[in-house]
Amino acid sequence: MEIAYALEHPIKLHLKLHVQGFTVLLGESGVGKTSLLKAVAGLISATGQPFGGLRPERRPVGYLPQHFALFPHLRAWQNVAFPLAHLPAAQRKSKALGYLAQMGIAELAERFPRQLSGGQQQRVALARALAREPQILLLDEPTSALDVATREEVFGGVLGRLKSLQIPTLVASHDQWLAQRADWVAVLTKAGLVQQGTSEEVFTRPATLEVARLVGFRNLWEGTVLASDGVWAQIQTHLGVLKAPCQNWISVGQSVMLGIRSEEVFTLDSAENRIHGQVQHLRSQGLRVRGQLVVGDVTLDFLLPRYKQAQLKLTEGKSLEVALEPRYLHLMAANN
Amino acid sequence: MTDPVFWQTLQLTLEVSLVTTLILLLLGLPLGWVLAHKRFWGKRMLESIVLLPLTLPPTVLGFYLLLLLGQNGPVAQTFGFTWAFRFEGLVVGSVLFSLPFALNGYREAFRSLELDLIQTARTLGAGWRRIWLEVILPITWPGILSGTILAFAHTLGEFGVVLMVGGSIPGKTQMVSIYIYDQVQALQFGRAGEAAAVLLVISFALVYLVRTLEDVWRSRMPSSTR
Repeated sequence: MEIAYALEHPIKLHLKLHVQGFTVLLGESGVGKTSLLKAVAGLISATGQPFGGLRPERRPVGYLPQHFALFPHLRAWQNVAFPLAHLPAAQRKSKALGYLAQMGIAELAERFPRQLSGGQQQRVALARALAREPQILLLDEPTSALDVATREEVFGGVLGRLKSLQIPTLVASHDQWLAQRADWVAVLTKAGLVQQGTSEEVFTRPATLEVARLVGFRNLWEGTVLASDGVWAQIQTHLGVLKAPCQNWISVGQSVMLGIRSEEVFTLDSAENRIHGQVQHLRSQGLRVRGQLVVGDVTLDFLLPRYKQAQLKLTEGKSLEVALEPRYLHLMAANN
Repeated sequence: MTDPVFWQTLQLTLEVSLVTTLILLLLGLPLGWVLAHKRFWGKRMLESIVLLPLTLPPTVLGFYLLLLLGQNGPVAQTFGFTWAFRFEGLVVGSVLFSLPFALNGYREAFRSLELDLIQTARTLGAGWRRIWLEVILPITWPGILSGTILAFAHTLGEFGVVLMVGGSIPGKTQMVSIYIYDQVQALQFGRAGEAAAVLLVISFALVYLVRTLEDVWRSRMPSSTR
């Protein structure tokens, strides 16, 4: 599904967006993600397609705001039955129960929203949105109201069910975890829509420096192109000369930015891109360890599993030589 | 309780309060909604005007109403009727005087309603009629009712405005609070005491009801949407 919308208020935004399966519109807060969802739902004035010009009550969309907006005075099944007002009473209930079952929470039908956990409320709200028989689902920050600790467990199940329904879903989020699980990712910044692609593409080959930061690149340095053979490029950096995959826009002598993900600093041992540094600032993050490798005046942020730390016997102050896998280095234009 | 005039006065007072309350409900609900959720030019001015009776001496309000609604006032000259010293005048004065009480309740009730609920209801196919009947009113009714009861109780005990606009004509425009004053002036402390006791009981019962409603309301608002 193609979405092309233009809105002037509360934020000026003109964009064309491809929605394919579970699509995450990734961006920091304030760039207009929520506004776009509301525009598509018809809740703020905008022009565009699909559904342009229709009042919100006539648009076949399933809209889910950040805090789910369940009606507090209605039981779970009554919430789900709300969009089914055109059906006779008996059918309303049985259909509502069907949608709750589809979300795996049929047993909660008689509960009021205040008796449900955040994750359960979200499922009720999704069941209610599905009862609308939408052509597109619009989810606003679906993971932000959930605990980070249990997010994977709580939203993972929902995600599987949503994907199996095969309803195009547009999700506004700044959650990298969620974007990594999307079928399609569109990155929105203050400059507009800067990149669309599969999540692997966006997370490993961000189009700009800003996207790189948004998808979690912590290691970004300036460099100059020394040579390029069309496949590999040699880049002069403060870490020395590094080999990286070539991009079709580079030319010898050009200033570029070079980046690598923290997860990909410690990879296979190879003869290329060897750098020597000192380990600093080790701290555990759940089951992983984050630290820095100080190389002259450059620090490399890295993230690795605990067992790997044990294998490498990493401690603070330890001197170490690592190889940056050329395939994992990524070149971006510097003037961003 | 032997004075037949008292019962007439009480009946009139209840009638004025009831009519006033109904008008306040019709006027105050849309106004409360607009003040709670709309932004427009001159909003602060409008709010100040409707809240003015809170600080304005009742006699001042009554005085201007008397000028407005009296025999030679602009209303009489333009439309040809005089509402001063009549039931209608009492109602107009009471509506203006109790408006802030009703409005505060309505506005707070509507303010605490998350707009996400309304917006989501619209995307679920509900028109405005359904949204008011099935979403807004069922959620906000305790607040609306408590504002309404407060306005009713407030009208019941009015003095200055109704004295100026109504003129305390026994059986016609005399309200209970003025009746009590008149009895005290006539040194009829027994009658004054009885009337005062009736007002006390009614007022207490109403305020107690409002407090109960506030508790009901509070118990249903938290964790409603998150």
